[in-house]
Amino acid sequence: MFRIIKKSLKTGVVTGQYPESERPSEPINPAVTEKAKPFRRSLAIREVDTGSCNACEMEMNALLNPVYDAERFGIHIVASPRHADALVVTGPVTVNMERALKDVHRQTPDPKIVIALGDCAINCGIFKGSYAVTGPVERHIPVDVRIPGCPPRPAEILEALSELRKERP
Amino acid sequence: MTDSPSPERSIEQAIQTVFPSLIPDYPSGTALARYRTDTHQLPELVRFLHEKMRGRLALLFAVDCRPLEKKCELQYLFAFKSRQPFVLVTTELIGEERLFTSITPSIHAAQWYEREIRDLFGLIPQGHPDLRRLVRHEHWPKGTHPLQKDFSWNHVLERQQGEYRFSHIEGEGVFEVPVGPIHAGIIEPGHFRFSVAGEPIMQLEVRHFWKHRGVEKLFEQLPLIDAVLLAERVSGDTTIGHSLAYCQAVETLLHLDVPRRAKYLRSLFLELERLYNHLGDIGAMCNDTAYALAHAHCGRMKEQVMQLNDRLVGSRFLRGVMQVGGVSWDVDRSQLRNIVQELNGIQKDFSEVGAIIFANASLTDRLETTGVLTERIAWDHAVTGVVGRASGMDQDVRRDRPFAAYDELPVNVALYRYGDARARLRVRGDEIHESIRLIREIQARIPDGPIAIKPDRSASPGTWAVAAVEGWRGEILYFVSAGDDGMIHRCKVRDPSFVNWPAIQWAVLGNIIPDFPLINKSFNLSYAGNDL
Repeated sequence: MFRIIKKSLKTGVVTGQYPESERPSEPINPAVTEKAKPFRRSLAIREVDTGSCNACEMEMNALLNPVYDAERFGIHIVASPRHADALVVTGPVTVNMERALKDVHRQTPDPKIVIALGDCAINCGIFKGSYAVTGPVERHIPVDVRIPGCPPRPAEILEALSELRKERP
Repeated sequence: MTDSPSPERSIEQAIQTVFPSLIPDYPSGTALARYRTDTHQLPELVRFLHEKMRGRLALLFAVDCRPLEKKCELQYLFAFKSRQPFVLVTTELIGEERLFTSITPSIHAAQWYEREIRDLFGLIPQGHPDLRRLVRHEHWPKGTHPLQKDFSWNHVLERQQGEYRFSHIEGEGVFEVPVGPIHAGIIEPGHFRFSVAGEPIMQLEVRHFWKHRGVEKLFEQLPLIDAVLLAERVSGDTTIGHSLAYCQAVETLLHLDVPRRAKYLRSLFLELERLYNHLGDIGAMCNDTAYALAHAHCGRMKEQVMQLNDRLVGSRFLRGVMQVGGVSWDVDRSQLRNIVQELNGIQKDFSEVGAIIFANASLTDRLETTGVLTERIAWDHAVTGVVGRASGMDQDVRRDRPFAAYDELPVNVALYRYGDARARLRVRGDEIHESIRLIREIQARIPDGPIAIKPDRSASPGTWAVAAVEGWRGEILYFVSAGDDGMIHRCKVRDPSFVNWPAIQWAVLGNIIPDFPLINKSFNLSYAGNDL
C-alpha cells in the first residue's frame, strides 16, 4: 500500500506533459459546430476501424493515457454506437468492412458527427485503388470532420476535438 | 539433441540419406537450402522434415510465375533449431494444373496457409479438412483470386449472396455468443464466435480478414526500392519490424552490404519499438483485470518512449527511418547518451511498477492458469514470438539467425514454460529489461561511418530472397522476388499474428468469457498484419 502511494507521489502529475500540436487543425464547418451544439461540453465517441494499419487506433488509445487524459475535456469512448454522439472512423473502407460501417452509422442516434481520422480514412492513402478497398469513408457515409496525418499525433486529435466543442458567440 | 552429432549441415545430410535423389541448391545471400520436389514426393518429404527433424513450418505460400513461366510454385519454408539454415521445399503446378496435396492432415500449422492459397490463387488443397473461405468473405464473387497475375490490382469487386458456416456445437444448454467485427474498445475488427454451456468456453471460432486491404497485390505494383512505405503500413505498431524485414530481403536481392553503423541503428530502432509496445501491453493486460493503477503507470511510460521516438526521428512510430541500403536518420553521440539516460530512468521506474504489479495477489490470481497454451499446441501451430516463449518454445530470431547488429549483440532470450497469461506478462517484462540493456550495449559499441549505401544495380527478374526479423510480437518473414524493371514480382508477408491467431482458439478452452479479453490482450495480435 505504502509502496503504491510512494510511487504515485514520486511520479506526480504527468497530465499535459506533451509537445503542443504544431499543425493547426483544419477549420471546422460552422454547420458542423451547430450540429455539435446539443452535446455541449461532452462528446461520447465510438471508434470504428474499417481497415487501418492500427497506428491510428494506438493514437486514439493514447488519448486515454494519463498524459493526454481526454476525459478531462469531457471526451468519452463508449462501447456501443447506440451510446455515441460521434463516430471516429479510421482506415480505408475495405470490401469486407463496408457493410459493418454502414450498420454502425445507422445504429448511431441522430444527431451524430462522423470524424474521419487519418489519411487513409480521408483519401485511402497508400491503399488507394486496391481491389479490396471500396473508397474513403465519405463514399459510404457523410463525413463532418477530417483529421489528417499518418497517423495524426494525439495532440492534433485533441485539438481538432476541442475545436469541435468550442462555443461560438 | 543426441541424434545430430555435428550441427553443421546435419539436416542436409539427413535428407540426403532418406531422399538420395534430392539435391539442394543454395541461393546466395540467405542461409537457406532449397529442394525442388514433385507433388508426389512432397507430403513424404515435409512430414519427414516436420516429424523426424523437428522442423517448424515457418511459412507456406504460392507464387504465380507468370509472365516468365506459365506455372505456379508452392513454397514450404522450414525453420530448425538455432543457427541451422532454413530449408525451402519447392514444388510446382504446371500450366492449368489447379490441384495440390494438402499437408494439413500431417502438419496442422499449414491449415490457414492452404486456405489462404486457395482464396488468393484458386489452387485447391486436396484433402484439406476445412475448405471454407478464409480471406475472401462470402460476398466475394466466385472465381476472384486476387493474386493470380491476370487479376488486375484495381479490379472492382461485385457482391454476391453467401453465408459463412460457423462450426456449431449442439446440445442441451449450449448457446453461442457472437462478438464483433466491431468491438467495444478501441481495437481492430475481427469476429469471435463462442460456444458456451454456462460459463466455460467449449469452442471459439475466430473469423478474421475483415481488414484485408490487398497488401500483397499492392506490393506487386511498386518498385523494389520504394515499397518500404507500404511495408511500414502493414501493421502500424510494427513499423520497424516490417520495414526492416522488407529491406533485408531487398538488400539480399541487390547484394547490398549494409554499413555497420546502419546495422546498429536498425537494432536500436527495433528495440525502441519493442519497448513501447511491451510497456503498453503490460499496462493493457493489467487494465483488463481492472487494475487501473498499473495501466496508468505503464501508459505513461509508453507515452514517454513514443515521445522520445518523436524527438529522435520526428515520428512516434519511427516511420520513415528505414530505407533499402541502411537507415535515413542518424543518431549522434549526444542523442544516444540522452536515449540511454532516459531509458535508465524508465527502467528504474518500470522496476518499481513491476514490483507493485507482481506483489498484487488479486492480479496474480487473475493471470495464473488463465488462457494456458501448452507447449504441444504451441508447437503444432508453429507459434512464434512472445506467445511461443511463454509456452516453452525457445526461439528468437535475434539469437537463432542474427540480423542487423545482433551478431555482435548477444541476446538473452526470456523463456517461461507455464503458457498462461502471467507467463506472457513475464516474458514481456523480461524483454523490457533486455531491450534497455541492448540499447546500452549499442551506445557503447556503435561504430562510426556511413548510415546507408546507395543501391547500384538492379535485381534480375526471377531472383528472390527470404528475410526474417524478430519484431516485438515475434518472427516476421518476408519473401520478395524481383520482376521486370526493378518492380516487385511477388512479396509474401508473414506477420507473427497469422500463426498465433489459430492458437488462441485453443488457449481459451475451459476459460470463462469474461477472461477472453484478458487472454486476447496477453496474446495481443495484430489484425492488420494478419488480414493484410
